[in-house]
Amino acid sequence: MKKYLIVLAILLYTFTSCEDDDFCYEETTPRLIFGFYDKDSPTTKKALPIYVWADSKDSIYQLATVDSILVPLDTQKTSTLYKIASTNIIDEFNFNYTVSDKYISESCGYIAIFNDFSLKSHTSNWIDRVDITVTKVENETQTHVKIYH
Amino acid sequence: MLKYIISCCFLFITVIVIGQEAESQKKVEVDEIITKTDSITGPIPFKKKYGLRVGIDISKPILSLVKDNYNGFEIIGDYRIKRDFYLAAEIGVSEQDTRRDTYQFTTKGSYLSAGFNYNFFRNWLEMDNEIYLGMRYGLSTFSQTVNHYTVFQKGTEVNSVSGVYFEPKRVETPTEHNDLSAHWVAFIFGMKVETFKNLYLGASIQFNQMLSSIQPVNFENLSVPGFNKVFSTSTGIGFNYTVSYRIPLYKK
Repeated sequence: MKKYLIVLAILLYTFTSCEDDDFCYEETTPRLIFGFYDKDSPTTKKALPIYVWADSKDSIYQLATVDSILVPLDTQKTSTLYKIASTNIIDEFNFNYTVSDKYISESCGYIAIFNDFSLKSHTSNWIDRVDITVTKVENETQTHVKIYH
Repeated sequence: MLKYIISCCFLFITVIVIGQEAESQKKVEVDEIITKTDSITGPIPFKKKYGLRVGIDISKPILSLVKDNYNGFEIIGDYRIKRDFYLAAEIGVSEQDTRRDTYQFTTKGSYLSAGFNYNFFRNWLEMDNEIYLGMRYGLSTFSQTVNHYTVFQKGTEVNSVSGVYFEPKRVETPTEHNDLSAHWVAFIFGMKVETFKNLYLGASIQFNQMLSSIQPVNFENLSVPGFNKVFSTSTGIGFNYTVSYRIPLYKK
């Protein structure tokens, strides 16, 4: 009897002390991926030093020489305005979308995905042209916006 | 917090049991004498009481009072069909609020489980205690209500500090997922001790394995009444602390 009681006590103690790990390792709300390409050879990536910020916010990239960038979209609104500056010349990109929420897992909870994704308006001061490659931003596996310069 | 208190209680039980060691050793000696006698005259036939035993899980009303995120009640019952074999069943209701970092939900429903217990404890003389292994088939119908959630977004690095760039979307309107159900099998290890005549105190641990469940749309059954928290491997664990009374029908 004593042996069984001890085993049961240990079992109870062990199992009541367990808690699941609480970190979200899976996909989260996707960021928008810009790729910078050479306007004369559209399949070649061409890095350049840039500043990137959303309207009235701090810069996410500061004079970083990159050929692609990842920036968040505003999940509370249906549009986000990004400004990208190269050698003090600024271009504006105004994106439109609708937000839908998707349950992922216990530790991640809900994420947002962006449907009906489009470029509402943009300026062409230092860029040559823009291509939107998706209608839905739902992951970070491909470039969503291609900028040729 | 409560789980630690409960765990501590069990530590004390262990200590008490060690305190009784000397006494049980005497029993063993007497037991040996009896077995020796058995070998000559055959087993001494102590008659056992047969009947329906009903009771409640006392931990659930207590937890309902102590915790503000839980309400539950469970009735248990078993019927002895052989000396060491019992048909057993539980029926209960529960309502549980679970809070996570970015969302909170309420699981509400009722459950039923039925199966058997096999007692492998050899009683001394006319005693009628049990240490048993059991199996159950469990079934639950329930609803999940997501009360609120905030979309999860990785931090954005600004000036080498990762933080929130845009405030994430927050939904405060509850979404109710009704008509959900689940069924599972459970393996039980437990004991029952007759404290007063026909009155039993029991404790058991239950390991659940989900067979199938109807999942809510755009959510998941993270908790199921009677099954408890559903771990990522579709398993669950439950504890019962019971008080039950045997209505004796006949002796055999």
